[in-house]
Amino acid sequence: MKITLNVNGKLHDIDIDPGEYLLDVLRRIGYKSVRRSCNSASCGTCTVLLNGKPILSCSTFAASVDGQSIETVEGMSDGEKLHPIQEAILEEGGAQCGYCIPGLIMTGEALLRENIDPSDEEIKLALNGNICRCTGYEPQNRAIKKAAQVMRGELDE
Amino acid sequence: MSFDVQMPTSEEGLVSLLSKESSHILAGGTDLLVKIRLKRVIPKTIVSLRHLKGLDRIEDLGDKMRVGCRVTISELLNSEIISRHARILQMALRQIGSPQIRNRATLAGNIINASPAGDSIVAMVLSNASLSIGSANGERYERVVDFIRGPGVTTLSRGEFVKSITFEKTDVLFPQFHKVGQRNSMAISVASVGSLTSESEIRLAFGSVAPTVVVPIDACEYYSAEIDSFDEERFVELAMKCVTPIDDVRATAWYRTTVVRNLIHRTLKVWRKKGYNAV
Ligand SMILES: Cc1cc2nc3c(=O)[nH]c(=O)nc-3n(C[C@@H](O)[C@@H](O)[C@H](O)COP(=O)(O)OP(=O)(O)OC[C@H]3O[C@@H](n4cnc5c(N)ncnc54)[C@H](O)[C@@H]3O)c2cc1C
Ligand code: FES
Ligand code: FES
Repeated sequence: MKITLNVNGKLHDIDIDPGEYLLDVLRRIGYKSVRRSCNSASCGTCTVLLNGKPILSCSTFAASVDGQSIETVEGMSDGEKLHPIQEAILEEGGAQCGYCIPGLIMTGEALLRENIDPSDEEIKLALNGNICRCTGYEPQNRAIKKAAQVMRGELDE
Repeated sequence: MSFDVQMPTSEEGLVSLLSKESSHILAGGTDLLVKIRLKRVIPKTIVSLRHLKGLDRIEDLGDKMRVGCRVTISELLNSEIISRHARILQMALRQIGSPQIRNRATLAGNIINASPAGDSIVAMVLSNASLSIGSANGERYERVVDFIRGPGVTTLSRGEFVKSITFEKTDVLFPQFHKVGQRNSMAISVASVGSLTSESEIRLAFGSVAPTVVVPIDACEYYSAEIDSFDEERFVELAMKCVTPIDDVRATAWYRTTVVRNLIHRTLKVWRKKGYNAV
């Protein structure tokens, strides 16, 4: 079957199998930031934004999001210039192997769009579906907090 | 994988697709897609609710509320009338999965999945919820406690689907939801205890300690009958009669029994300490 996806503002007409998962379709058309780990809705590395809200692409049929808008990390940086969340993750040591980072950034971005001044507790709750084997979470939570400060204009980049 | 994905726009279209062999409704897909991947479900037709008209509202019906089968857990958590009139449901839904899961998962799907650990089921049983079930033959109504027959087993038959869930407003009762899992939020519970309490009434329901969510009716009746000579140990003994846990990957039966017992004591303690003025 044929579907249309708007990915990071760009329209794609794609031929898919009705049983194909969004994760596989996104990777197939070149969005390689979208990553598979558990493949069973438990780790968050495949998180993308669907109409602005984080969802798990490994557990979503591409057919069921026909015509809708998807965002991935590819759409976050502006040329060479990183998004404040990306910048803060690097500065705070929030990335080691980096595998979890694209999913984490998308979840963090959705949080900050809704709440530009989240508390520590709110950050922890928002990120609880994004598992990281390396960092122990604290640097990542700090990074979201710092990115929020930058985005509020209280801290220089 | 070879199956067809259909997206009916009307209830008539939906019902006729459901009469086919091996057709499965797809709501948020947080249970169904995992099952398809594990080959526990091998569908011929997937019937998505995405383009269905209606059944996407949270309605105030006076002393009750109605939630359409397409309403997601995130939508319920953002709803003003839910936070005003169904705090027990709100408490239970906050415990489900992660934001990613809650943005897709529906309340109807959580009930239909009929897991003994289903967090919303505890809240729905406490709120005397019933389901409106549609089919080619019209509509039937069933209480959630009767609808769920065992782990993953319900009374839904081929050609039927859940249209909406109706439940009581419970503003006047003091709500508590205690869940013990292995890891925060993402974990399916090891045991959970939900309650609604007043001076003269207690409603209790337990998750993950029996083949379905269970209600300790004897204990609830004892509470109302013995207000003046209430004996906490007696109450807990009566409540524990419906606790028949199993050993599984998440916990041993012994551990579950101990956890529920402690959670029942905690429920009474929180109620005594706070009353509902303090909330
Ligand atoms: C990582 C993870 C963590 C989770 N944590 C929790 C937790 O802490 N607590 C908890 O209770 N649950 C938890 N869950 C399960 C929870 O996400 C689901 O039970 C969810 O609520 C199901 O809703 P859905 O819309 O995704 O259903 P789907 O997966 O779309 O459907 C579930 C079942 O119901 C059927 N169905 C759906 N809608 C209808 C309808 N209207 N009529 C007839 N049949 C229908 C489907 O055919 C399918 O059999 C978790 C799941 C995951 C993946
Ligand atoms: S790969 Fe999707 S949640 Fe793990
Ligand atoms: S940095 Fe390695 S998994 Fe998060």
